[in-house]
Amino acid sequence: MTARGTASRYLGSVLRNGLGRYVCQLQRLSLAFSPGGQSSRGARGYIEEKVLDFAKQNPGVVVYVTPQKCRSPTVVAEYLNGAVREEIIADKTVAEITQLVQKLANQSGLEIIRIRKPFHTDNPSIQGQWHPFTNKPSTLPGQSLRRLEQQPNKV
Amino acid sequence: MATARGLVRAWRRLRLGVPPRRALWGGLRKKVKEPEEVETAVLVKEPPILVCPPPRSRKYLPPEDLQSRLESHVREIFGPSLSEDWQKASLKESKLKYHLLAQLAAELGHAVPNSQLHQMCTAGDVLAFYSTQVKDASKFDELCTAELPSNLKIMWEY
Repeated sequence: MTARGTASRYLGSVLRNGLGRYVCQLQRLSLAFSPGGQSSRGARGYIEEKVLDFAKQNPGVVVYVTPQKCRSPTVVAEYLNGAVREEIIADKTVAEITQLVQKLANQSGLEIIRIRKPFHTDNPSIQGQWHPFTNKPSTLPGQSLRRLEQQPNKV
Repeated sequence: MATARGLVRAWRRLRLGVPPRRALWGGLRKKVKEPEEVETAVLVKEPPILVCPPPRSRKYLPPEDLQSRLESHVREIFGPSLSEDWQKASLKESKLKYHLLAQLAAELGHAVPNSQLHQMCTAGDVLAFYSTQVKDASKFDELCTAELPSNLKIMWEY
């Protein structure tokens, strides 16, 4: 669809994250995989090797690992602003899943839609936005008529 | 006529449940066997039913003095014909190889599997084999028993 037909938003951050302390916006990560099943092979490998390191590096994220009989393994990421993102990790290698999980941890919960402007500022002007009457001497309405009577040629 | 009457009488007796007067071929033997079989059957039931023991765990942890032990065994088996570097001692002779591997298996409780016997060419290979640890728990069991950080929850109810 066109840009006009799909949703869009302005650039922004969640509660000015990073201005002071940076807070990881990922709240919860739920890994559902099948203990047998060939599509969960990468998921099982990830859980055996990498998930422990990820949990130690991101102590603010709770990781739930649930082995259950499912057709395709999924990872559900929930963010602090309430957004939920579900990704299917079926038939992916351990490296791909590591990369994906890292990407989810780096994201804020804001929607992934078109960003209208690649910039945003709360203080667009310090001294005031220029307009044609800036830097022009200001006169009251009566004063300008008197000037015209005094100096008709200049007008 | 007589035979027919005799047959009829025998048939009547059998119908009534009375055993025939004339012992049939092997009839006595059958009667003697039955009480014996009953007795043996009764005897077998009395002792408790044995439970199949769990399979032997294949866990193996190499001991710390493995090198010295191996060296002593090699020198013992090979005798004085060994060069300085005992690890290069060739195991081509089947007798020496057998003695060495059998002694090590008995001592350490961990034998070289048949599929890897052909790979044991020198004493160095044997050392490498016995230095590798063998665990029998799956990675998931290890993960559960190991200390998990407080933000990682693994749920096993399935």
